[in-house]
Amino acid sequence: MSPAPLRKPASTEPVRVTIASLSDIETRSERPGPTLAEHYDVVIVGASLAGCAVAEALAQADGERRRRILIVDRHPDVHPRFSGEFIHPGGAQILDDLGFYESLSAAGGVDVDGFAVFENADARHVDLPYAGIKGHRPRGLSIHHKVLIRTMRQRLREHRAGHVELVEGWSVNDLVRGPRGEIAGVVLETAGHKAVTVRADLVVGADGKSSSVRKLAGISDEGRETIGFTAGIEVHNATLPRGSYAHVFLGGWGPILAYPILRHDGGVSTRITFDLPLLLPAKGERMKAYVMRTYLPFIPAPLCTEVAAAIRALEGPLEIAPTVNLPAPTAAMPGLVLVGDAAGCSHPITASGMTMGLRDAATLGKQAVRRHRVPEGEPWLDGAALRGYRAEHDRYVPTRQALADAIYEAFRGGGMGARSIRRALFEYWGTGVSARTRSMALLSGAERRPHVFLTEYLKTAGHALSTSFSPQHARHFPIGDRVRRATCAAQLARGKLGLVAAVMWAQIRPAWMVRDR
Amino acid sequence: MLDKTATATDDPDQDDPDQGARSTSPDKTSDRVALPPDALTRALDRARTLSATWRGRGVSTQRHAPTDACNQSPTPWLLQVPDVGPACEVLLADQLLHDLTPTEREGLAEWIGDRQDPDSGAWLDVQGRPDLSLTALGWWARRVMGDDPNSDSMSRAVRVVHALGGAQRAHFSVRLWLAMGGQIPWSWLPAIPSELFLLPASVPFSPARFSPWARAMLIPYQVIARAPARLQLPDATALLLPRADGTPVVPRLTRPGLAGDLLQAFDRTVKLSRKLPRGPLPGAAAKRAQAWIDTHQQEHGGWFSVRPTLLSLIALRVGGAHGSDPRIRRGLDSLRNARGLVQGRSKVLLAQGTGGTDLAVTAELLRCAPSEPDINWLLRQELSQPGPWQDRADASAGGWPREPGAALHLDLSATCSVLETLAALPDSSSQLSAAWAASRRAIDVLIAMQEADGHFSRFERGESEIFMQRLPWSDADLLSFGSGEDDTHVRLTARCLSRLAATGFALDDDRVAKGVGWLQRTITDGRNVSLGARSLATLSAIAQTAGALCPPEHRLRTAVEHTLRARQREDGSFGTMADTALALLGLVKLGHTCVQAQRAARNLVEALTHPDTDADGWGALSQGFGLDPMAQDPSAGIRQAAIALSAYLDAGGNLGHPAQSNLGAN
Repeated sequence: MSPAPLRKPASTEPVRVTIASLSDIETRSERPGPTLAEHYDVVIVGASLAGCAVAEALAQADGERRRRILIVDRHPDVHPRFSGEFIHPGGAQILDDLGFYESLSAAGGVDVDGFAVFENADARHVDLPYAGIKGHRPRGLSIHHKVLIRTMRQRLREHRAGHVELVEGWSVNDLVRGPRGEIAGVVLETAGHKAVTVRADLVVGADGKSSSVRKLAGISDEGRETIGFTAGIEVHNATLPRGSYAHVFLGGWGPILAYPILRHDGGVSTRITFDLPLLLPAKGERMKAYVMRTYLPFIPAPLCTEVAAAIRALEGPLEIAPTVNLPAPTAAMPGLVLVGDAAGCSHPITASGMTMGLRDAATLGKQAVRRHRVPEGEPWLDGAALRGYRAEHDRYVPTRQALADAIYEAFRGGGMGARSIRRALFEYWGTGVSARTRSMALLSGAERRPHVFLTEYLKTAGHALSTSFSPQHARHFPIGDRVRRATCAAQLARGKLGLVAAVMWAQIRPAWMVRDR
Repeated sequence: MLDKTATATDDPDQDDPDQGARSTSPDKTSDRVALPPDALTRALDRARTLSATWRGRGVSTQRHAPTDACNQSPTPWLLQVPDVGPACEVLLADQLLHDLTPTEREGLAEWIGDRQDPDSGAWLDVQGRPDLSLTALGWWARRVMGDDPNSDSMSRAVRVVHALGGAQRAHFSVRLWLAMGGQIPWSWLPAIPSELFLLPASVPFSPARFSPWARAMLIPYQVIARAPARLQLPDATALLLPRADGTPVVPRLTRPGLAGDLLQAFDRTVKLSRKLPRGPLPGAAAKRAQAWIDTHQQEHGGWFSVRPTLLSLIALRVGGAHGSDPRIRRGLDSLRNARGLVQGRSKVLLAQGTGGTDLAVTAELLRCAPSEPDINWLLRQELSQPGPWQDRADASAGGWPREPGAALHLDLSATCSVLETLAALPDSSSQLSAAWAASRRAIDVLIAMQEADGHFSRFERGESEIFMQRLPWSDADLLSFGSGEDDTHVRLTARCLSRLAATGFALDDDRVAKGVGWLQRTITDGRNVSLGARSLATLSAIAQTAGALCPPEHRLRTAVEHTLRARQREDGSFGTMADTALALLGLVKLGHTCVQAQRAARNLVEALTHPDTDADGWGALSQGFGLDPMAQDPSAGIRQAAIALSAYLDAGGNLGHPAQSNLGAN
């Protein structure tokens, strides 16, 4: 894929304009819009979870309020499409550190104890709890995406007024280049207004998997592909088998996730998502019937009937979002960093996308803290700080992606090897709490030590071989079938060796050695 | 009682032994008439009403009624009508078991007599050809009932038997009855070393590797042959083809050739060795066989089907069980429950079926006219306990058996039918949640029943590839359930793949890809049977699979569509009512409501709305378990028409203008 052509800014003359969100524009006569400066220390593009968290992390780092931070979002309210809603304990801790947690909890966020995985709806589930992970809080946070974003923005407005400027309804249509080709600002536009140029020492691209900042900067997104779709629906007061857990139901074409997302009206709303194939077998209203016919049978009762009732009662089609796989692109270049999904995303099966976005914010915040006393005239986050951010980012993002890809492949079970690995995982998790805790630590991003990763891989591969030779139900399972299963499992495990090596290398690679990307 | 329910007909077609497979064309339906605008919906309503009628016919309110079933409880109709073999064998076995009431004996005898061809004196197979085994059994059953062996019809039957090689060349079951009746020596039956029964199930020679029907036959056979059993039956030596010196011709047990000669020698050796002391092995084998019979008696009282049930009951008696033994009483009850009414040549008669209510047929009838209590009943029939099918299939209990109460034996064909019915349940059904749960378990079972090469087995994995079958034994084919590439397995594989597709599975799943690949290889390569020679039921099943899984240019899809289209006749039909309906369904599932589909739909509608058509003649052939592998399925045309027209209507099909419908294929 060729990089997006770089364009020069239309004008570098200092301008001072008043802009407003689209909703503000509609009521312009009643409410004046905010005033933009011609220069900011940091411009954050995208005021979703990662963008808001970066804004707050930077604001916290700048305790003396010497810096000006602008955060813009192209949507006047929040992105209309449903998006990530699950945050692992590591991310919840970052939210707490940034001061968002209490607000989110008060807004209806639900504490979650871990994952409950169902090999099939009739089988005993396996709990993967957070509680045993050392050094981490015992619970994650799950919250309705729109409530999450509105609450975070509201808190920024209330607590960072004058320090962080948040404007909505404006999008970036170009980047400003400095004399050495570094990113030096953004060109913003909105309907009915002339494009305006805002200069900045640092631009943060937090505008999601289809990041326009990434494209405008010419950062390659080679390997980006839409691998499927996710349909979602909300069910109020659903009967989840494990109330405070996120649920994964296997057996259908793709995994089904169910997790509580909001406490309200004396009850709890639950999000149910269905992993759909790339070639959608139905569209519009027909998708409802398709989901009911092909996915709901793999959900245990009475949840399945509750979901069915919710689908029937839904006016309009199901919400559907593409599932994108984006191998981590270069996360930093002079004057620009990418955070959150803009800096790499994968299948949502491990629900780690938002946690990674928060970790990006925390990592960037650390670099900002390190340089918060630099004198006026020097960029707050210089090249070394950005390299530091990138080095750290490149350790945890590829690991998360590798795990998400492997887990998704196993959970979907489209091949015999993948099904053997899936069976092996359940066998392994059945061996004890410590096995489940280690797996959860890896999946939630809490554990990054290479030897743990290697050990878990080897144990899973070992279980794959042993379970292939010992069927679950058949008393005289043919030898040929056992060998075939074991061969496929071994082939798959062997195919993942390179990935394991890459992940381990990502953890031990010296910071000065830039990832080749 | 039977006479009262008789529905006499003057239709000369009733003389046709293949009456169930009559075409809906051409005489009554060939004239193109303008159909009223609501003809399609009216025809569909009629098909659904008739389906509901058949469902009602197939239900007995007192399935476990006392002995005089015909008089004391409403006897259900048989949804699958086998040949007269089971009825004959029940009459023969009753000489030992003494269970039939006079009414039942007379009823079965009347059914047997009704099926005798008045011209040749033979009992015919489904193709209308004289059948040696059926004729031999039919003659003997009539003798049991006291018919004069010198009567004209009996003499002609004996002549047919002789013309076909004599009873010594008949099916293994017939020879077994002859041996039990003392008419032929036991050496005319193949010897099975009793030591085989002591082998662990994982050994290829073990009886556990036989198909379930063969296992359920050979294990009691081993007990019966060891005793040996002896029944007081009328003389049947007249059925044996004699040499010139009057002694009967000794049958050859093995196939011609060196290997066959060697096996024949081995067979003699085994028989000779039985006269030598062999230590505790034969006794241990007999005990194991007896234990197997005890543990494999099913919930409904029978064993795999009627014939294994009869042999098992005889084996129990041989083992010393009294007639009042609960195992024998339950077994006899299961035989009774397998009896039902059938349409004879001129009246309704009592026939012996091969099992209880056929679940596959019932499920399809319910699909046409669902009712909540019936769906609930269907769900209760789900297998919930382990069975021998799980020896080689790695899945927990689920799926459905062939008949209610057959809790040990999975039937993937019935499972597919039930899954299709459950998938068609309306959203408003109160059974939806239970149906989903049962479907989920069944899908797991279905997947586990796939063979390594991609095709699916019906009762047990490996049922069509029995190691012992490779021996040149003339009865070797009895050990397996067909061959992997026969119509039954091709159709079953296609249906299983359709069910997987309906559950969201696609070609990106290795199991589906393997199944479709196998279908393509088997069908389009046509190593044994060309695609054109396949039955319409098979073509329709493949078309439905291809429509659900294969892209338009896929080789399998184009081949089956071409073949299907080429089978349409001038009048728009594809043969029988059931064939036309199945072909229409295939075309609809391929995505077509084209002129050819429209002409097929018109043909069905005209037949269904014609005031003079006789709905009882719209049967078809189906897989059976009598001596003949095919059975009559009297409700096939009706229910398939309801299913096909419903699908055609849902797909936006209409009957068009009659002038347009005569344009021919597009």
